[in-house]
Amino acid sequence: MDNAPILNVAALRARVADEDLDILKGVDLAIKPGEIHAIMGPNGSGKSTLAKVIAGHPAYEPTGGLVNFDGEDLLEMEPDERAQAGVFMAFQYPVEIPGVSIANFLRTALQARLEDGEELDLFDFQELLMDRMELLEMDPSFAQRSVNDGFSGGEKKRNEILQMAILNPSLAVMDETDSGLDIDALKIVANGVNTLKKENPDISVLLITHYQRILNHVTPDVVHVMVDGRIVESGGPEVALALEARGYEEYRNAHAA
Amino acid sequence: MSQAAVVRQRTDPAIGRATVAGMGAADPAWLRARRDEAWAIYQATPMPSTRSEEWRYTDLARKLQLDDLVVADGHTGPAAGALLPGPLRRTMEQDGDSAGRIVDVDGKVVSVELDESLARQGVVLTSLREAARQGDDNIRRLLATAAVPATDGKFPALNAALWSDGVFLRVPSGVTIERPVRLSRWVSRSGSATFTRILIVAEASSRLSFVEETLSPDFDRTTLVNTAVEVFSRGGAQVQYVSLQRLGRGGFYLANQRTLAERDSTLDTLNVALGGSVGRVDLNARLLGPGANSDMLGLYFGDADQHFDFNTSQDHVSPHAHSDLLYKGALDGSARGVFRGIIRVHEGAQGTDAYQTNRNLILSDDAIATSLPNLEIGADDVRCSHGATVGQLDAEALFYLMSRGLTRGRAERLVVLGFLGEVLSRLPLGGVVEKVTNAIVAKLRNV
Repeated sequence: MDNAPILNVAALRARVADEDLDILKGVDLAIKPGEIHAIMGPNGSGKSTLAKVIAGHPAYEPTGGLVNFDGEDLLEMEPDERAQAGVFMAFQYPVEIPGVSIANFLRTALQARLEDGEELDLFDFQELLMDRMELLEMDPSFAQRSVNDGFSGGEKKRNEILQMAILNPSLAVMDETDSGLDIDALKIVANGVNTLKKENPDISVLLITHYQRILNHVTPDVVHVMVDGRIVESGGPEVALALEARGYEEYRNAHAA
Repeated sequence: MSQAAVVRQRTDPAIGRATVAGMGAADPAWLRARRDEAWAIYQATPMPSTRSEEWRYTDLARKLQLDDLVVADGHTGPAAGALLPGPLRRTMEQDGDSAGRIVDVDGKVVSVELDESLARQGVVLTSLREAARQGDDNIRRLLATAAVPATDGKFPALNAALWSDGVFLRVPSGVTIERPVRLSRWVSRSGSATFTRILIVAEASSRLSFVEETLSPDFDRTTLVNTAVEVFSRGGAQVQYVSLQRLGRGGFYLANQRTLAERDSTLDTLNVALGGSVGRVDLNARLLGPGANSDMLGLYFGDADQHFDFNTSQDHVSPHAHSDLLYKGALDGSARGVFRGIIRVHEGAQGTDAYQTNRNLILSDDAIATSLPNLEIGADDVRCSHGATVGQLDAEALFYLMSRGLTRGRAERLVVLGFLGEVLSRLPLGGVVEKVTNAIVAKLRNV
């Protein structure tokens, strides 16, 4: 395994575009290929902002520091270029795209990776799609539905995992993918991550979560605690357990002091 | 086909009494009388003005100079057997299977084909002019009387006086036509005015689908295409009528469509507006018997300075009928879209189910969508709803797609296609979906 981090975040500061106050106030984070990192933190700590800045959400604006991905300056890239480079973000609130089938969407996404003039082979695509759906134990008819249109919370998460399986990123950022989910839906996400990880051990995963519970199903290599725009503690899975027992108060007080 | 600019000469037929007489010269007496009567109504009817609610957003007086137009009298088209214009041939090649085809060039039917087995079962597909001259009794009873009579307004009157040709399609009781019947219409002369009609009669328990497509090159002068479409579905019949408007720039499309759905019949329509400079469609769906059903679909995509205006009405004359309207439009450049629709539940039309939805997607700062849904309810036991939205491309949706590797352009195209595609998926006729999708994609490349 390569020892250089695939993702290197250093002194990253960012704010909501057109607002004065930084939400991220100097984040440092390095993830090596194949590692699973979890970032936990209370509401408003900036953990979801970190995910969106990595993916290139236009509503957020970096104001300092750097994000290096696989040797490239991610902050200089458009969201689609980041995706092409191998970054994938599973959305907390996946967006409905009425009238566009999942299959069509994924086909267009794969086509976008090809050079101009190159055509995606439709049979190869169909085979890949069926193979991935089988791996994730999904009904083939699912791919014919419009993207997230009228989906339940669980179906939306399932769709995110399917996209991840097709696009096969080198870094998957799971943005509060477990929020508002019942235990079955949470298991969809966890099983999906585990299945894909097993198949491709080099995938790095950044799990952003408010709760400890998803970590009962996905075992992280490193757990970070984020409070007020900074990572205030990093350690093994025991950090999450301690946090579950004690809550975030202690960190907040320590940080305020 | 070249399209030399035509400036009307003294000898060219103008919109006027003499042209009405000339047009009717070879017609039977009843038809000549009907033309004369229509002309009188035309003259007595003022030009629609923006002071009237129905024409508030389309200023005909400014956009259309009738006096300059040369009437296509059916003598300017190609000779029989002449090669059809390239763009017309190419679009016909993209059509799927057809049960019958009719080609109209500059207001004259130049060819008619109908599946022989259907002809043997009594299906009639023919030039409207020929059928009228041969004294078909259906035409005498139904032409410009029960559906789009001259009394309907200035342009229905003008069309009834000056129509040069058109289509007559009649399907006898119980006969099913599986594949669509297609009309391909080509207008070549810049500065011309084409008046054409369609009369469709689906007898009891018959089935048919009809697709009309209008094409032209770009024009350097305003060029009018005026159609009057009359569709009758008798008890239990199932009818689908589709109009694809793909005129070139300079084209001015004015359509008056009326559908009359009798007991337990289904009469669905789809209007697609992609071409021309101005397009105005007046569609009136009449639900005349219990169990009658009309799905009314519309799709428009305007760019540059295109102007599309739809004026629809759902007349629930009978109780226990159903109608459902969905019109969706995307507008780019400085295009303008107008939708004005009304559901009228007539007195005593209990158990009416009527819905009306208009949705607009605005792709540029200068594009404008105006949406005016309306209800007029004269019964108490009804289920009606209407709704309208005007929105922009959702930034969150674009980011979502881009985060999967799509460029901004591809992401926008996918969202627009999905938005408009919903309409096509409700009436997926062979050839129509592919053709309209391709035309939308071609327009989107310029976005």
